[in-house]
Amino acid sequence: MIEGVWLWITLLLIAAATVVPRGSFIVLGSRARLPAALQRALRYAPAAALAALIAPDLLVDAGGFAPANPKLAAGIVVLVVALRWRNPWLPFIAGMGVLVMLRNGLGW
Amino acid sequence: MNDSFKRGAAEGVRRMLPLSVGLIPWALVTGVAMRSSGMSAVEATGMNLLVFAGTAQLGTLPLIASGAPLWLIVLTALALNLRFVIFSAAMAPSFEGQSWARRLSSSYLLVDTVFIICAEPMKRSDDPEWRWGCFLGPALWAWLVWQVFGLAGVLGADAIPQGWSLEFMATIALMVMLVPMTQVRAMLVAAVAGGLGAVLLRDMPLRLGVIAGIAIGIAAGFAAEHWVGRARAR
Repeated sequence: MIEGVWLWITLLLIAAATVVPRGSFIVLGSRARLPAALQRALRYAPAAALAALIAPDLLVDAGGFAPANPKLAAGIVVLVVALRWRNPWLPFIAGMGVLVMLRNGLGW
Repeated sequence: MNDSFKRGAAEGVRRMLPLSVGLIPWALVTGVAMRSSGMSAVEATGMNLLVFAGTAQLGTLPLIASGAPLWLIVLTALALNLRFVIFSAAMAPSFEGQSWARRLSSSYLLVDTVFIICAEPMKRSDDPEWRWGCFLGPALWAWLVWQVFGLAGVLGADAIPQGWSLEFMATIALMVMLVPMTQVRAMLVAAVAGGLGAVLLRDMPLRLGVIAGIAIGIAAGFAAEHWVGRARAR
């Protein structure tokens, strides 16, 4: 465990390693412009990033590829609900309901 | 604080409100995890205020706990935060003409959900005050939710029930954001490729698999856009 002053130095460096990527182009502004083709490609960044964060949580269990797990079942319910209804709270209620029922109720 | 700033802020916060639910379990989990890695309540709260990035905080905790070298910790944090360079570049045109102070504070406040909420509406507006409101409103709201529930996690580290899988709410929130985007064919291709890439490359060190998955998804979406465009032209 890093302790005392060194811990605070570590935290400050992690903070810097967060602020610099976040601020990079916003702070540099028009002095640094990405090429138009790259700009267009970047429109796909949010969808790709979201999927890259979601998919491993739904499909990987204890380090291995395991599609038969309660989180994927709950995820499919969330997908259906989000496609079918526009209510923003419903996916949370349905998804958590299914997951808790499968895990705590059926012991999956 | 003029009218268009307020209207922008109202629009941003309205979009943010349902999704900020997904921040609650993340903040709680991060608060608890910092304490259980050996930090004091003051140190954990300090990390929440200084870093303000769930992924980077959770990713560096095991390294801090095991006393890893400083350069490795910083490099890991950078790798986990690389996606923000992409977000920052995508949003930069919307911050054109804003003051130095506003752009610097945006660098601290830009988190994933805010990017997903704000990027499109900010791009569509040509009123700089509206754009600033549309960013600052939801960004400050996300910051407040994160700090309040992070602190709750820090202070109540031992009392939170662990059997209810509350961390899954974060994944649900991400899915709720993703679904409307995938109505466009090329976006769907980007999402499927990005998801599969991240799953297949999950064993890469430093969680680089997520970044690789994002790159694969972007490339696939871009390629799909070209392909669809050419098919139409024919």
